[in-house]
Amino acid sequence: MNILESIIQALQSIRANTLRTVLTLLSISIGIFAIIGAGTAVNTLEGSFNSQLVAMGQNTFMIKRTSSIQIGNSWRKYRNRKDITYQQAKEFKYQMEGISLVSLHNETDGYTAKRGNFSTDPKVTLIGADENFFIVKNFVIETGRAFGLTEVTSSIPVVIIGNDLVVQLFNGENPLGQYITLKNQKFQVIGTLKTQGSMFGRSLDAQAVIPLTVFSRYHSDEWTSSIEITTKAYSKEQLAQAVDESIGVMRSLRNLKPWEDNTFEVETNESVSSQFASFSNYLQVFGLGSGLISLLAAGVGIMNIMLVSVKERTKEIGIRKAIGAKRSWILFQFIIEAITLCQLGGLIGIFFGVLAGQGLGSLISTEAAIPINWVIFSIVICTLMGLAFGSYPAWKAASLDPIEALRYE
Amino acid sequence: MSTPLIHIEHIARTYEMGGETVHALRDVSLDIHPNEYVALMGPSGSGKSTLMNILGCLDTPSSGVYTFKGLDVNEMTDDDLAEIRNKEIGFVFQTFNLLPRATALKNIELPLIYSGVSSEERKERAIKALEDVGLGDRMLHRPNELSGGQRQRVAAARALVTKPSIILADEPTGNLDTKTGIEIMKLFQDLWSKGNTVILVTHEEDIARHARRIIRIRDGKVESDTINPNPVTKFELP
Repeated sequence: MNILESIIQALQSIRANTLRTVLTLLSISIGIFAIIGAGTAVNTLEGSFNSQLVAMGQNTFMIKRTSSIQIGNSWRKYRNRKDITYQQAKEFKYQMEGISLVSLHNETDGYTAKRGNFSTDPKVTLIGADENFFIVKNFVIETGRAFGLTEVTSSIPVVIIGNDLVVQLFNGENPLGQYITLKNQKFQVIGTLKTQGSMFGRSLDAQAVIPLTVFSRYHSDEWTSSIEITTKAYSKEQLAQAVDESIGVMRSLRNLKPWEDNTFEVETNESVSSQFASFSNYLQVFGLGSGLISLLAAGVGIMNIMLVSVKERTKEIGIRKAIGAKRSWILFQFIIEAITLCQLGGLIGIFFGVLAGQGLGSLISTEAAIPINWVIFSIVICTLMGLAFGSYPAWKAASLDPIEALRYE
Repeated sequence: MSTPLIHIEHIARTYEMGGETVHALRDVSLDIHPNEYVALMGPSGSGKSTLMNILGCLDTPSSGVYTFKGLDVNEMTDDDLAEIRNKEIGFVFQTFNLLPRATALKNIELPLIYSGVSSEERKERAIKALEDVGLGDRMLHRPNELSGGQRQRVAAARALVTKPSIILADEPTGNLDTKTGIEIMKLFQDLWSKGNTVILVTHEEDIARHARRIIRIRDGKVESDTINPNPVTKFELP
């Protein structure tokens, strides 16, 4: 028996019924697309995420009201949590100063910065921060200076701006000492930030950092009034101790009884990446699940089209049997045809899945990672599908009586 | 006399049709020897098609003995029968029964594919078979691009390419006009004179007259089995 011969025959019979075949192939393609698409998305996001984690620095951890990555129903857990107030955060910072450097900040999105006739896209992230923010968060000052403790405590309206604002508002002029307007309030520019690029498709240069006191007074609203605390342990060895200590401090500040759960989240690099891993697992399981369901539907379609094909080609099968085709040959021919059909659909799905992954990659400006393991998995699945759903029609074809089949018109 | 190629003894074939038993063949015995030219004749319903299917190993008798080259056909599995059909029998059908999507060459290669001949040898032998029936210039034509006579010649080439022991032709001229019919009969005459065994199944006297031996079937039995005293040897249009 000759596999190549069978594949050629399969392709010929597919070509003879192009429309019908393409429609059936479509459902396979959609299933494989879902699997490959999710795989590519996860791989791409993971790559991007991990490279950003490395940039964040190793000895830092955050204390927030809610988790950064929320999955499923976790919002229920967070809904009744009280904000971390500025008072609590200040007290926390004071108590933790011995073993770590603490930065407090809060931020809100969607601002438009203006200067005279110039204005930016409404994408500026406004960050209210304390004097430790720049060191703890690795925000590097390019020109000018950061603000200090005095400017924070005295609520002086100064701002340090990201490169997007420099480009869009100053058009080559020196921004230092100039004034910009953010939500009807004037700020003097005292420094600019080093370019940071983008993460998950969002520019990290559309940022303006102002003293936290000014932010809290004019810019926080009910969604963003909870302070985020970033703590940087003085050394790697002190990190675990700092995390433990900060949980104790925070619990006492929030008056938690010993039997109560924490009403805040502590996020280390590890905890964030494990949260991300569980998020990406969800995505992968979802892609796999919906893909497999669609493939099941496609399988039924394959069986249907193969049964029709066997019926239509009854005479051909009769001729083949009359001139000496054994059962196994007919069986083999139709199974190969079903597998070829499935593979064709699968390849189309893989192609578009990878393409969609590339699209996502370019959207968040990272390199798309083709999930080779998922591609191999898809090819295996397609083969098994052809085998599973092609077997019955093939068996039917092989069992035809040659005389009856020859008489069929 | 040489050992018979085909030996059948008291064979019968019955079918169940809607609760009724149909006796297609009742009691048929005959021998066919190598290089015979036999016509199986009979009106429709006589059982000649059933006999042809059994002789061609497409079907097996309900009772009786059938040996082909000394092998007991009744003992054979479906796959054994397929092998006999592939290697020993060359079918030529009234409706040609070529694969419509395959070229003439591919159609002729098909039985060789099933007997496991390598692709180069397959092609070589198929080309030779096509040239032998005078269609060397039609190799890549599909059946619908050929005339009826040409199609039947392709079918004959397909039947011959495996060098079978028997050519079994079922109403080979039934779908052809008189002129091309005569051409095909001439082809069978040539095959026979080259040493092939030919069995013609027909209900037309004119066609049967080409054969050297005429077996008449009626009501599932052999009515007569005679040597044809004056076989047609001239192939001219009437």
